Amino acid sequence: MAPRWKWKGAEAKALAEPVSKTVSELQSSLAQIEVSGFLSSCNVLLSVEPEQAEVLDRCCFGRPVVSAEKDKRWIQLSFEEAFFLFYKLKCIKISLRGRSLENEVALWRSMRSFKTNFAISYKAYSHLRSKNWIVRSGLQYGVDFVVYRHHPSLVHSEYAVLVQFICGNDRLKVWSDIHCSVRLTGSVAKTLLVLYINGNVNTENMNLPLCLEDYTVEEQTIRRWSPELGREDETRT
Amino acid sequence: MEEKDWEVSSSSDNEAGFPNDDDEEFHSGGSVPKLQFRVGSSKARWIAELGLAEVEVKRGKLWTTTGIIRSGKTYCFIEEALYLSEIGELQILGNEDEIVIPLKDLYEKMAEEKSGCSWDNYEVYRYLKGLGYILGRNGISWTLKDAAITRPNGEEESACAGECLEDKGTVTKLLGDMQICDAKAVFDVYLPNSRFKKSSPGEPSFVACFSGDSPPSKEDIKVLQKRIAAPLMFCHVAQGRASFFSFSSIDLPVLP
Repeated sequence: MAPRWKWKGAEAKALAEPVSKTVSELQSSLAQIEVSGFLSSCNVLLSVEPEQAEVLDRCCFGRPVVSAEKDKRWIQLSFEEAFFLFYKLKCIKISLRGRSLENEVALWRSMRSFKTNFAISYKAYSHLRSKNWIVRSGLQYGVDFVVYRHHPSLVHSEYAVLVQFICGNDRLKVWSDIHCSVRLTGSVAKTLLVLYINGNVNTENMNLPLCLEDYTVEEQTIRRWSPELGREDETRT
Repeated sequence: MEEKDWEVSSSSDNEAGFPNDDDEEFHSGGSVPKLQFRVGSSKARWIAELGLAEVEVKRGKLWTTTGIIRSGKTYCFIEEALYLSEIGELQILGNEDEIVIPLKDLYEKMAEEKSGCSWDNYEVYRYLKGLGYILGRNGISWTLKDAAITRPNGEEESACAGECLEDKGTVTKLLGDMQICDAKAVFDVYLPNSRFKKSSPGEPSFVACFSGDSPPSKEDIKVLQKRIAAPLMFCHVAQGRASFFSFSSIDLPVLP
């Protein structure tokens, strides 16, 4: 499916401001003033200047928290987003219970303690972000993530992503699961993309974010074909 | 305070204007084709030992896209025989006489699943044939010169490849492949084509595969894809409806 740009000129705007460039801007913007967030059991709350909030929005990290404060903005980050900013982009600091977590291992372990599948989910998230796709929650479509080619204000998301750990067989187990996911994503004009995360399930290994290097990601799309629409009479050409 | 929530606009994806359920119209209205049932049409004789029917009388252009040719004779598989009988184009005869085998007996033969085609294979065959597609059994040539029909001795019935393989080596190879995989490649499917030639059919549009009760595993898909060059389409049949899914390995592009 070709990308569906939302308005005339959107594609040109996207070409003029590649995602990678905006992400670099974000890195420098956040690094200038030490940006710090604190970890809760389900998210990381970040306090930023209005300009930084704007760059975060342009790269689609986090959701703004509505507040009456004029000079500060509060942004709510998912674990994946927060860890990516902390570990990969190295542009935020995170504290837990008043203490700043310098060490990525401590943060990793804390997040894993709060969210069981965090390691796999994060691997998928960072895999997609590393390819410069915008990654958002896919909950409203019954999937893990939806990915956009550029900012959601410019383009519709093309893929609905389900993450499957190679040792687990908990998604798309039966045919009705396949029907459900494919038809649902198809009805909103997205292609179902399954990310298979291969790696060692050794629990000891998984205690360190280094285990991420051992994981590989395989991408597979699942599409439904309609025989009524798929016919082409060659003799008519 | 203005809250620019671009997430909201993305939920307008729902009004994408994509057909909601394209299949519904087709199934409820026109599932029974309006055909004239002809008596005195083509005739074929069922040969139990081969699991095939040998065509004795040919009527109509349908034989350009049905049946395999061996040494100048045309044979058809159980699914082809049953389909043509259903639409009144073919009468199947018994062993020695001129008595037509009733449809009921043909359905029973199909249900026994001893002739290389299972019932859900047949549902897909019938559905696609009705839409004009051309189907052949995967791994079986449409036509072979100077080859007699033989069933390899002592070989177990190969559920997917059919019994009429001339080359014992081929059967062993195919059986060997089948052992590592729960999913089976059953039909080569070609787009509707009035100029189809059995002597040079070209590459199929896709190969219809069946993985049974559960969706195919990633490993099974790999095994099949290694063996088959054409795109694979996995069929799921439930309550008389056939659905087709393709599972494709991709590499999401790195964006600028």
